[in-house]
Amino acid sequence: MRKDITIAADHRASRGKNEARRLRVLKMIPAIVYGTGKDPVAVSVSPKEVNKILHSTTGHNTIFDVKVADAVSEPVMIVDWLRDPIKSHLLHVDFLRIDLTKRIIVKVPVHTVGEAKGVKLQGGLLELIVREVEIECLPDDIPEMFNVDVSEMNVHDAVRANQLELTGSMKLISGGDAVLVHVVTLKAEAATEEVKVAEPEVAKKGKKEEEGAAPAKGAAPAKGGAAPAKGGAAPKAGAPAAKAPAAKKK
Amino acid sequence: MLMPKKVKYRKQQRGRMKGKAWRGSSISFGDFGLKAMDRGWVTSRQIEAARIAMTRYIKRGGKVWIRLFPDKPITKKPAETRMGKGKGAPEEWVCVVRPGKILFEMEGVSLEIAKEAFRLAAQKLPMLCKVISRDEHV
Repeated sequence: MRKDITIAADHRASRGKNEARRLRVLKMIPAIVYGTGKDPVAVSVSPKEVNKILHSTTGHNTIFDVKVADAVSEPVMIVDWLRDPIKSHLLHVDFLRIDLTKRIIVKVPVHTVGEAKGVKLQGGLLELIVREVEIECLPDDIPEMFNVDVSEMNVHDAVRANQLELTGSMKLISGGDAVLVHVVTLKAEAATEEVKVAEPEVAKKGKKEEEGAAPAKGAAPAKGGAAPAKGGAAPKAGAPAAKAPAAKKK
Repeated sequence: MLMPKKVKYRKQQRGRMKGKAWRGSSISFGDFGLKAMDRGWVTSRQIEAARIAMTRYIKRGGKVWIRLFPDKPITKKPAETRMGKGKGAPEEWVCVVRPGKILFEMEGVSLEIAKEAFRLAAQKLPMLCKVISRDEHV
């Protein structure tokens, strides 16, 4: 969906992680503009403005203008963005130039409307399987979202992608049989028992053999326990192997 | 308890836990998630304890996803054993968690219930955690 927003961007001459870090200190983020057969342009933009667009109702499907320095503003869309895993602030954004006359493939969010009968009366659980549906359409026809009315859904009912209302130039790209939403019965929690951690199988055959051989090796030192006689420490010469650990305690 | 069915090698070195969790750091399945804010090893017992705490609280209300798997074997030498004589026997399984990792996800419950369930679960884990929703931090 096209919106009358223009974001100012500056050319970014320097590259690399250090320059990007310096840029972020100045409350700007590195970004790139590419697409429509033109050369990619490295730019810097304000993350506040990008966040506003991402958090708007149209989200990443918003088509807006980017004005790079003195150049003519171009219609773009946010196609990729990177956030910090801990603080969640924006680190980098990709803008794709949009040709308003050509069809594009976009992912449109799916929202549910109402409360399902199966949840309210039958104690089921409404599960949203697919949260975004891929469609092909003209840039001006991109819908904000697909609303799926779930109020009449009983347990085991499902809504599939081909049941969505497509208008204008929209064409479904995702599989039509894909289940978007369904109401399922909840499984009872399996009784958990304290299980002693068993060792998993070792993949290689050769290793298995080694493993099998390992106890034999382990047994050997016990015998050798009597053998410390070699070391000459305190050999109770006739001491049986079983007593060896006791000797260790010292 | 969670553990691999088959492994290539029985024992592993301890390794390092540098960096952030760039993968698995956003909510993929549910509406709410529990995010690790620190790094550490989470054992299969801790995962199970957290899961039980969560599912008991939400009763039969929602669905829970476990986003971590303990695939690292930890060995331990027996008590009162002298050093040497090789590496100890595998004792437990852990998952290496870096800050930013989503540990659990939940769907089909209200925000208040999810928050409380995650609080109970976080008490079983060895690190500081934060509850987040699909769009923003709660």
